[in-house]
Parts: sequence; structure tokens; C-alpha cells
Amino acid sequence: MLGIIEALINGVLMGSIYGLTAVGLTLIFGVMKVINFAHGSILMVGMFSAYWFVKLTGLNPYLAIPVVVPFLFYFGYFMQSWIIRPIFEAEKDVREPITVIIVTTGIWYVLDNLSLLFFGAEYRVVKTSVTGKIFEFYDMYFLLPKIIGAGITILCAIYLYWFLKHSKMGKAIRATSLDREAASLMGIKQSKIYNIAFGMGCACCGMAACVLIPFYYVYPTVGVPFDIKAFIIVVLGGLGSIPGAIIGGIIVGIIENVGAQFMASTWTELLLYGVFLFVLLVKPSGLFGMKQDF
Amino acid sequence: MALLEVKNVTKRFSGLIAVNDVSMSVEEGQIVGVIGPNGAGKTTLFNCIAGALPPSSGSILFDGQEVAGKKPYQICQAGVTRTFQVVKPFATKTVLYNTVVGAFATTQHLHEAETKAIEVLKFLDLYNKRDVVSQSLTLPERKKLELARALATEPKLLLLDEVMAGLRPQEVTEMLPIIRKINETGVTIVIVEHIMQAIMNLSEKIYVISFGKKIAEGDPHDVVSDEEVIKAYLGDEYVATQH
Amino acid sequence: MKQLLNQKPIILLISALLLGALFILPLIVTSPSLMQIIILIVLYAYFTSTWNFVGGFAGVLPLGHSAFIGIGAYTSTVLFQTFGISPWFGMIVGGLLASLVGVIIGLPTLKLRGAYFALATIAVGEGMRVLFENVKQVGPFKINGPSGISLPLMESSFWTFQFGSKATYYYIILIMLLVVLLLTYFMMNSKVGYYLAAGGEEPEAAEALGIKVSRYKLIAMAISCFLAALGGTFYAQLMLYFYPKSIMGLDLSFEIAFIALIGGRGTILGPVLGALLLRPVSELTRIYLGASLPGLHLVIFGLILIVVMRYYPKGLVEPIKKLIDRFIHKPARGKADDPSNPSARQE
Repeated sequence: MLGIIEALINGVLMGSIYGLTAVGLTLIFGVMKVINFAHGSILMVGMFSAYWFVKLTGLNPYLAIPVVVPFLFYFGYFMQSWIIRPIFEAEKDVREPITVIIVTTGIWYVLDNLSLLFFGAEYRVVKTSVTGKIFEFYDMYFLLPKIIGAGITILCAIYLYWFLKHSKMGKAIRATSLDREAASLMGIKQSKIYNIAFGMGCACCGMAACVLIPFYYVYPTVGVPFDIKAFIIVVLGGLGSIPGAIIGGIIVGIIENVGAQFMASTWTELLLYGVFLFVLLVKPSGLFGMKQDF
Repeated sequence: MALLEVKNVTKRFSGLIAVNDVSMSVEEGQIVGVIGPNGAGKTTLFNCIAGALPPSSGSILFDGQEVAGKKPYQICQAGVTRTFQVVKPFATKTVLYNTVVGAFATTQHLHEAETKAIEVLKFLDLYNKRDVVSQSLTLPERKKLELARALATEPKLLLLDEVMAGLRPQEVTEMLPIIRKINETGVTIVIVEHIMQAIMNLSEKIYVISFGKKIAEGDPHDVVSDEEVIKAYLGDEYVATQH
Repeated sequence: MKQLLNQKPIILLISALLLGALFILPLIVTSPSLMQIIILIVLYAYFTSTWNFVGGFAGVLPLGHSAFIGIGAYTSTVLFQTFGISPWFGMIVGGLLASLVGVIIGLPTLKLRGAYFALATIAVGEGMRVLFENVKQVGPFKINGPSGISLPLMESSFWTFQFGSKATYYYIILIMLLVVLLLTYFMMNSKVGYYLAAGGEEPEAAEALGIKVSRYKLIAMAISCFLAALGGTFYAQLMLYFYPKSIMGLDLSFEIAFIALIGGRGTILGPVLGALLLRPVSELTRIYLGASLPGLHLVIFGLILIVVMRYYPKGLVEPIKKLIDRFIHKPARGKADDPSNPSARQE
């Protein structure tokens, strides 16, 4: 019984971190109506940045946040303005921007394999001051960096939610996501909003990367499982919804961790695909039926 | 028997009643207009007839057959074809291709469909544009293409959703005879329209809808002088379109 | 067929010459390793052409096509291993099975909009791979989980679908490709093709013209999956060894989609052109740089894709066709531009 509670809590912790990557994905989708298939690769870029930061400076891994997060923001910002925007604009009138989807897949491929070229296929792990620290609670054991990570993640999501609801830029982003044309008539410059939204989506990955580094391996295709989990989460929570992404993330974390109590981890992976397809088929608008929530 | 018989159709959207107990009937060969201010529910009514939305209650008989709640493609196969207010051409395809898609409704063979499509394009004066990709057409041409595609399905009843919307006054006057010409070939037409003059000239019969309810029906000139109609709708709108 | 023969004589002549060249190619190329590369080019053109039925015409982006290729490979192989059934027969069984799975998956997913469909197909493709990696045996059929199956080497015969000479494999896949291209051509010029294109571009307008869009998409899906699985059997017989990651993974699915988009999706020759351009890149980098720089060919793929989408969002077939057109029409200029000249139009 205790094992299951432990797994449940671990699921919530890990799930909130998944949730943060999914928040980035959902934010980009909400504004541009484009699914960034390269999202996991962006996370991988973030994780390698954080890895090298900690490895080279030997500083506390959370000090990487002020470096990695802005770096990824600009990474996303310029990726959108240099690569995606021209293609997006050429397909403006097309109902299904398939070209944009395939280009983000192309970016996924380029980033993953570039990092394979540069860093090799091995799994790397960095020893930090919090790595391996255990937090004990009623005979249950949790990794301290997981708890810190989940805490930071939740704070981030709350901040983002507040930012979109109340700040001026946030309002402009929301307006664009609701009605592109109307927003641009109101003097909101669309392309800039897209760049910023893309940058913010990638910055979420940067944040997740920094909190993952103390307890997770880094390798070139580390983004793929996260990518696929992020897809599952956003569909689960309803594309475009930030609270939905966090809740979806927690559900995925719980399925994965509690499932592992009963079956091999490869089977929990299959279970996740099953849940994903089930939701896609039964309720593609998401479990909670949330529409654009921000 | 009327070709189209709409009986007590109501459409609710979670609490909001968009169409409230509307009945209308269209005789074969007529041009019937449906007018009303923005948000009056005329497009919703139109969508119920065309199958894009199922009515919440009521019945829609076409040719004596119940079509309420049927899917758009079934309704088209039954002989009712619609056009869209915001034109939806198959943008990367040519005018001829677009029309052939419509013509396939009555045949299995490409050759026959093409013959039919060319005939329709000639009829609508679009023949010399046949190889133009439809996304590079002008708006009036796109509207005509929308008509051509619909006509190619050989409908008994043609539903026109604001076919004049967005056209300049001169383009409207060019469109009117085309619609009359289509009607003369034996196609019954129901036209939902915002531009009063246009519909006054065309229709034999007019239905006025306001706040989801039918408030008047009959001969266009009687309807215009109807006190309630002027109050509910024409007051501002009619004067505005006069200038 | 009439339309096929209605082309300009010079185009017909060039096509006939090309076709002839394709058939005598094995007489000129004697190196088996070069032949293997050529066979793979044709095979990828074949895979991509089967993808084209859904990805090219139905207006959606399938990113899990390898699942069906895998079904074909596994079905014919386990049938041969367990019951000694000829792979030719197993090929058909695999095709039907893939078709069935495709329709079951397509039934709900083809109603989804573009991005959702792409996501669903990734999940199907990856889910299928994980499933095959998890399972060692189903009833009497051994599939060996992640380590895959190697086919026992048999003596060269038609019945066992194993041949000593690469040329035989080449002719088989070449004929398969030509059949699929012909099918594509006939589909494009039929009601199904027109309805698919219409439903892919503007589903609402298509429905209003009497088209049950989902039905036509399902037809395309069934054809596409059936043909893909046939290619899977061919792959298994050619390689004689395969495992889930090699035949069902994201890599293969993505490569197929990339080839299609770079070549030109929704065109007959796009997949062929794409495979002709990308496969050699892949093989050459793998042969010369594979050991020192793994994954380089995928970086190059991705970059080519991004650049091509940037400048030719419809793929490379279009600009190349224009180039050829200009070359052929140059002497007869003015005549070709005259709209009253019926031969200038493809009707």
C-alpha cells in the first residue's frame, strides 16, 4: 500500500515536470495553431545546455535557470522568426498547415542528430549538490531534486497563467490566440506575438531542463519520450489549456509511476499510447473539455 | 405539394434559441428570399435545411421526404445543393477541376463529369477561366465558381447563402440576371440575403426572420410595407442600403 | 488509358526510353552493393507512393506509415516460418491485415483535423513498435521481441521468395512500383481521386457537394496500408533480417514523409523524385561517414526538407516539371501558350 502511495506521489512530482514541457507546447499551439513537433528536441537542447553549464562551472544546478531559460527563449524566438515564419506565411490560407508540421519534424530530426554528432550517443549524468539526496517521509523515500523540480514547475505554471491573464503582453497573446485578424486590426503585431509565444514555449522547456538535470540522464534522443508524453498531455488536457496541461501531466506521471508497480516499464509506455489513442478517439477536445483557456 | 416544406423548425444552442418555430414552404420553380437583420437566425435556419446543423425539433420535407437531421452529403444527394457565404473553393485546383467535383454527383465517369462541368461553365460565362487556379480568381468569379460547382450537381433546389455579400453594387447587378437565368432552367432557389434591393427584385416570396422568429411572409412589396417588419428590421437597414 | 496516350509524342518517347533503361539497368550494373542501393531507392519510392494515397491526396499527414510496412514483414515471415506458407501468399495476407488495421485506426482518426491526425499516427506507429518489442511469441508465432527475426536462408526459388541474384529483386520491386504509380494515375483521374482531393482541401464544401468525405478517406487508407504491407514483405525477403526498430520505428515513417514532401506530395512522380534525391544522400553518408559521424544523413535530410519547404512548399516536382516543360516547348513557343490550341491542354 505504502509503495503505491509512494508511486502516486512520485507520479505527481514527475508529472508536474512533464506538465511544464506540455505547457510550452500548448502555449505555442494556442497562439499559432501549430503543434511544435520539435518540442522534445528543444528540451534536449535545454538539458545539454544545463548539463554543460553545471559540468563546466560546478555551480548549483538551479543557478543554470537564469542562463538556460533566456537562452532557450531566444532559441525559440529566432527559430520561429527565421525558419517557421516564412513557411507559416506561405501557407496562411491553407486550412491544414501540413508544411509547418513537417518542418517542425524536420527541426526535430536536425537537432537530435546534430547533438548525436557532437556529443555521441552515451548517457550522461552530472553530479550536483542535490543529486541522489533523499527526502524521507513516513517510511517513503523521494528524490529531493524531484520535489524541488515539481515545486519550481508549479510556481512557473502559476506565474505563466497570471502573466497571460493580467500582463499587457499576455493579453495581446490571448487576443491573438482567440482571433488573429481581429487582434492584428487592434494593432497587435502578429509575427512578434508568434515569436514571443514560441520563445516562451521553448523557455518552459528550458525551465524543465534545468530541474531535470540533477536527477535525469542526458542523451541526444532524450527529447523523444518527453515529446511524445507532451503530445499525450496536451491532448489529454485539451490543446491550448494551461491548467489542462499541468493536470494532464500529473495524470501521465501517475499512470507511468503507479503502472510501474504492476508491470514492466515498456508496458507502461504502451499503456500511455493506449490512453492517448483512447482520448484522441473518444474526446479529441481533451478530458476536461476545456476550450481555449487562456 | 410544395418542393420544400419547413415545419415548426426550432434550433437551440445550450439555452439560446436561434431559430424559433419557423415554418416556410417553397413551391417548385420559385425564387424565395429569406431576410432578416444580422444574428436573426437566418443562417442557422439555412444550415438546418442544408444539413450542416441538425434542427432541435420540427420537420423539413423535401420532395415529400424527411431530410431534417440528415448529413450534408445526403441532402445534396437528395437534390438540395448549397453555396457558402464565405466561398470555399478547392483553392489549389483549377476552375474546371472544382466544377468536375460537383459534376461527379451524377456520374461515375470522368469524361461525362467533364462534359457536364464544361456545359455549366459555359452557361455561367466561366469557360475561358477553366484552367485558372481558383485561388487566383477575383471575388465575383469565386462566387460564380461556387454557383457553378453547385449547379454541376444538378440540384432541384439551390440554397444560396448571401451570394451577394461582399460584392460591389455593380457586381451585384451583374449577379442578379445570372441567378434569374439559373432559375429559368427549372432550378428552384432559396436565397438568404442581406442586400434588400437584390432580393426584392428576385424573389416571388419573402420570409422575414427576426430574433429567430418568422415575423412576416409573402409578396416582397407587401412585406416591405408591413409595419412590424419596418419596425423590427427594415427601419435602419433598408434606409442604409438605399444610399 | 486514352489520356495516358494523349500526351505529346516527344514525352511518350522519352518515357518509353526511360522505362527501357530501367529494365536493362541490371545488365549494366554488375556490382551487387550498387544494385542493393538502387533496389532501396526503388523500394523507398514504392513506400512513399503508397503513403501518397493518404498523405498526398486525403489532405492529412500520416507519420506512422511504417507500422503497416512492419505488419506486412511480420505476417509473411511468421507464416513462412511456422507453416511454410510461401511469402507470396503471406504478402497478400499481410496486406489484408494491414488494410484491416488501417481501417480500424482510420475510422476514428481520419475525422480528426491535421495536427491531431499526425499525432494519432505517431502514437499508432510508436505504439505498434513498442508492442512488437514487448512480445516474444503470439500463439505459435515467434516474433522475438526487440531482437527481431532472421529468415532462414533457402535455395533460390520463386516459391520461397529468395533469389541469388539481386536483379530478380530489382525487377520485382520495379514492377511493384510501376503498378502503384499506374494505380495512382488512375485514382487521380477518377471520381475517388477528385473526391479525395476535394475532401482534403475543403471538407465542408465537399460534403455540401454530396461527398461523404470520411468514406473516401477510408478507401484511400485501406489501399495505402495494403500496398505498404506488400512492400514490407519485400523488405523482409530482401534483407532476410529485421527487428521492430528497423521496420516500424519513427525513423522510417519520417523518412517516408520527408521523401514525399521534398519530392511533392499528391503528385505521381514526387515520391520517385524524392527517393532518387534522398536515398543516395543517405547511403553515401552512411557508407563514407557512417562510422565517424552517425546520424549525419538525418541532419542532411532535415536540412534539405526545411530548405525545400521554405522555397518550394509543394515539393521539387513542380519546378523541375517547369524546367523540362520549358526545354521541350522551346521550339514550339507561342503555340503552346495559345489557349485555343487543344493539344496544349491536358484534358
